[in-house]
Amino acid sequence: MNVKDYISSGIIESYVMGLANESERTEFEQLCTQYPELVAARRDFEEKLENHAFENAEIPPSMVKVKVLEAIGNPGSQRITSSNSPKIINMENSRTSASGSGNWRFLAAASVILLIGLAWFSYQSHNSQETALNELKSTNTALRQKLTSTDSILNKIVEEQKIVKDPNTTVVNMVGTQTAPKSSANIYWDSTSTNVFLVVKNMPKLPSDKQYQLWALIDNKPKDLGVFDATDDKVILKMKNTQKAQAFAITIEQKGGSTSPTLDKMQSLGKTLQTN
Amino acid sequence: MGIPITYTEQELVLALKERDNQAFNFLYDNYAGALYSIIKQIVTDNAELASDILQEVFINIWRKIESYDQTKGRLFTWMLNIARNASIDTLRSKSYQNSQKNQELPDNVYKSVANQTTQMNVDNIGLKKVLEKLKAEHRVLVELAYFRGFTHEEISDMMSIPLGTVKTRIRNALLQLREYLK
Repeated sequence: MNVKDYISSGIIESYVMGLANESERTEFEQLCTQYPELVAARRDFEEKLENHAFENAEIPPSMVKVKVLEAIGNPGSQRITSSNSPKIINMENSRTSASGSGNWRFLAAASVILLIGLAWFSYQSHNSQETALNELKSTNTALRQKLTSTDSILNKIVEEQKIVKDPNTTVVNMVGTQTAPKSSANIYWDSTSTNVFLVVKNMPKLPSDKQYQLWALIDNKPKDLGVFDATDDKVILKMKNTQKAQAFAITIEQKGGSTSPTLDKMQSLGKTLQTN
Repeated sequence: MGIPITYTEQELVLALKERDNQAFNFLYDNYAGALYSIIKQIVTDNAELASDILQEVFINIWRKIESYDQTKGRLFTWMLNIARNASIDTLRSKSYQNSQKNQELPDNVYKSVANQTTQMNVDNIGLKKVLEKLKAEHRVLVELAYFRGFTHEEISDMMSIPLGTVKTRIRNALLQLREYLK
């Protein structure tokens, strides 16, 4: 089919203006599903006709709208008409129905609905209580965990204070070496009990495969006192005991520590008053 | 309330199908004037009759909106055809015919309408104004078909013109009309 010829036959205008007969309409609607250009041409004419009608519009009497809105029962209409006036229930009718068997049916239906309603409500309320309980449980767990960690920090601080204040404790101030001038830590060393504690003050963070290692220098020989991390910040760390030490040193070693210190990686050094 | 709401045609149709009163108010405010003008052209400027028809048309639009199919044409086209059909039905109704002083005998109706039409002063409004630009032989046919609602067969009978010619002339007239609408 030649769509152009079909379009210029006047079928579109005829169809849109309602002048096409049944078979022409059916054919046109069917062809519209196949040829988008036909739909476009139809739209074009429809718009022209519409624009023309709008240009020539004439305001109808205002009563027409009022009557239309009344007729369709629009709540926007001002007057109440018979079509939307309230339904009047006759007293006699209502009494008859109340005493009839319909009333029992109604009560039975209402009680079933009420029962379902109550069941639903209680189910909902049970559900919401359960949700609230679960929320409380998880909050409680979180608080417990927080308390435990706070407690352990507090205990460490208390312990630190005890050690610091103990008259037998020697404080060794570890100062940074040329390699790491800012590194600093304190050693609390009780020569009586031989306990060694370390408090990291400022140690640069290390790659995950490295750790700091504390050494005691006894007669120029290093003794391993254990490893620690820079993240053990501001918490007192119990290191290995030593009875003797002329100095303490911190080096960077492979994770887990070394048997002998890598002295060129020495981060800080602190001398004690102990002599040979 | 009080906030002006506008709709695209798509939104308007959806809202109307959902029985949205606000959309219907918008529909009326937006389209009543255009439809009223067309109705008046068909009922030859009888304002009272046109108002009654317009009222009936909008009630029918509200009731029949479910049957509106967007694939078959624009909303206005659909409403325009409802308005046109309602106007023509009114003109043909017995009560209207009876109200006309010079009532014609049924077998003379076609001829008298054809005569009226050729003699009638074409109203200077809307489509009728555009019709003025057409050749007389075309104008009469469009007048009879579109504004009086006669079928092609009826026109062929009353004008004694072959059916094929009626169809061709009407289609040509409509194509010209289209040009004038630009």
